[in-house]
Amino acid sequence: MKCEWVRENVLLYVYNELPDDARYELEQHVARCGDCAAELKTTREFHAVLSELPVEEPSPNLVAASRMRLQEGLETAQQGRFWHRLIFDPGAWLRQIRFAPALAAAIFIVGFAGGIGTAYKVFGGSGGFVSSATGPASAPAESSITGIQSITQDPGSNHINIKYDTVSTQEAQGSLNDQRIQQLLLFAARNNYNSGVRMDSVDLLTQEPNNIHVREALVYALRYDSNPGVRLKALDGLGAYVKNDPRVRDALLEALVQDSNPGVRTEALRLLEPVGADSSVRSVLRKLAESDQNQYIRSQARTMLAQLPEFD
Amino acid sequence: MPAEAWVVPFAVGESSHPVVRRDPREEAGGIQDPQLRGHMAGQASGRIDDTLLVREAQRGNRAAFEELVRNYDQAVLRLALHLTGSEPEAQDVYQEAFLKAYKSIGNFRFECSFYTWIYRIVTNLCLDHLRKRQVRKEDAPVATDASGEQYDVLDQVPDGRSGANPERDLMRRELGKRIGRALEKLTPRERMVFELKHYHGLKLRTVGEVLNTTEETAKNTLFRATQKLRGALADMR
Repeated sequence: MKCEWVRENVLLYVYNELPDDARYELEQHVARCGDCAAELKTTREFHAVLSELPVEEPSPNLVAASRMRLQEGLETAQQGRFWHRLIFDPGAWLRQIRFAPALAAAIFIVGFAGGIGTAYKVFGGSGGFVSSATGPASAPAESSITGIQSITQDPGSNHINIKYDTVSTQEAQGSLNDQRIQQLLLFAARNNYNSGVRMDSVDLLTQEPNNIHVREALVYALRYDSNPGVRLKALDGLGAYVKNDPRVRDALLEALVQDSNPGVRTEALRLLEPVGADSSVRSVLRKLAESDQNQYIRSQARTMLAQLPEFD
Repeated sequence: MPAEAWVVPFAVGESSHPVVRRDPREEAGGIQDPQLRGHMAGQASGRIDDTLLVREAQRGNRAAFEELVRNYDQAVLRLALHLTGSEPEAQDVYQEAFLKAYKSIGNFRFECSFYTWIYRIVTNLCLDHLRKRQVRKEDAPVATDASGEQYDVLDQVPDGRSGANPERDLMRRELGKRIGRALEKLTPRERMVFELKHYHGLKLRTVGEVLNTTEETAKNTLFRATQKLRGALADMR
């Protein structure tokens, strides 16, 4: 046991990292134990061998050159000032705050006031903030909608809840069949700045692709939405109509050729497989098989072409 | 930790290498060699005023920051030079480290010593360097000088011990090369711990502080590194 302990600590002994009592204990043991004495000798020798690689002192020239270069660098460097720190390191800024209790009180008051305000909105009912679409309520004029805040669907039901802004935030509830809900979804799919909301609306709209307006909105999303996730969702909704609707097919071909996202292109390619025999699809496939930059698309296009019956 | 606590010189262990110029803070631990004492005097002066200098630098006083640089820059260069084996690369580490320190000195909260803080910046930059080097698997210890010429680092080292004995000099160089190669095989973190402990003489507690880890972890890493080196240099003992 003692020998084991010595072997574990001999390196620390050589590096002068053992406390005095352990050091004394080790020395006492080594004086009596030949094996451990040999281990200490080996460790010391190895220590000496490693020290054969010298540590250079930087030459005065190197020090001087480094200092000069640093001075030049400091001329242009900007120290992080208060505003910079406030913006980029709010954590450090907050840690410094010495008036934490006052801040906590202020946050509490603001939170309390906010809570009262919200309760007033919900229960005080200044009228039309929350309106229901279950009745034949008048649809909001599209021009008056400034943005859609959120879209949620109650799980397992057809009930959809949309929060949208006109001059102030309003809320509409109803099923997917409601005209107002559909109108808001169509608006959200095209106009919203928040891609999460666009995604939700496109997702819901894919449940109603028979509606010509809905299909148009999906084609629009596929062509113009900046978010690849939204475009993929729109693709999924349109997939079933690729056989019967030439406009859908064209949109898919356009996505296949021009979309910047390889995932969208691959999905478009997959959805176009059932209509591979179509002349427009076939010519696009040939082009892709020949010269597309994406290797996967190239090889998939070749495979699809090989599986198609020859007409020529 | 109280703000001024770090001004008290903390223990920095003894370096294993006789040529190494130790950190001036070692003076507190009592250095016996008068020659080494003389070496240290250069960068030791004014270090006691670090707190004031840091405060001044935080207020935007560039002269104070430059004073801090002069206090620590030789130690920084020595570490970077030994780790990178290249003067231009050591200069890059130096430049980047002090510019980073200058830009973020406003965030320095005196939770550790300025020495630990600047070493932390330098070791992080060196670790990045070592990781990149591991990918490149460069041959050690060939280095490049400021004009881009390659040379053997060990050829540049004046050897006070071998005197006029060319045979011994050659053997020593060969040995140095082999050690260099063995060190290259360590992981960047093992290399850093070993470097700070063996070649720069830092206490394991300080190594842990610098590398943002515990003394125990630093100790285990040192064990691992030593085991690997013993394996790689088995025939040299």
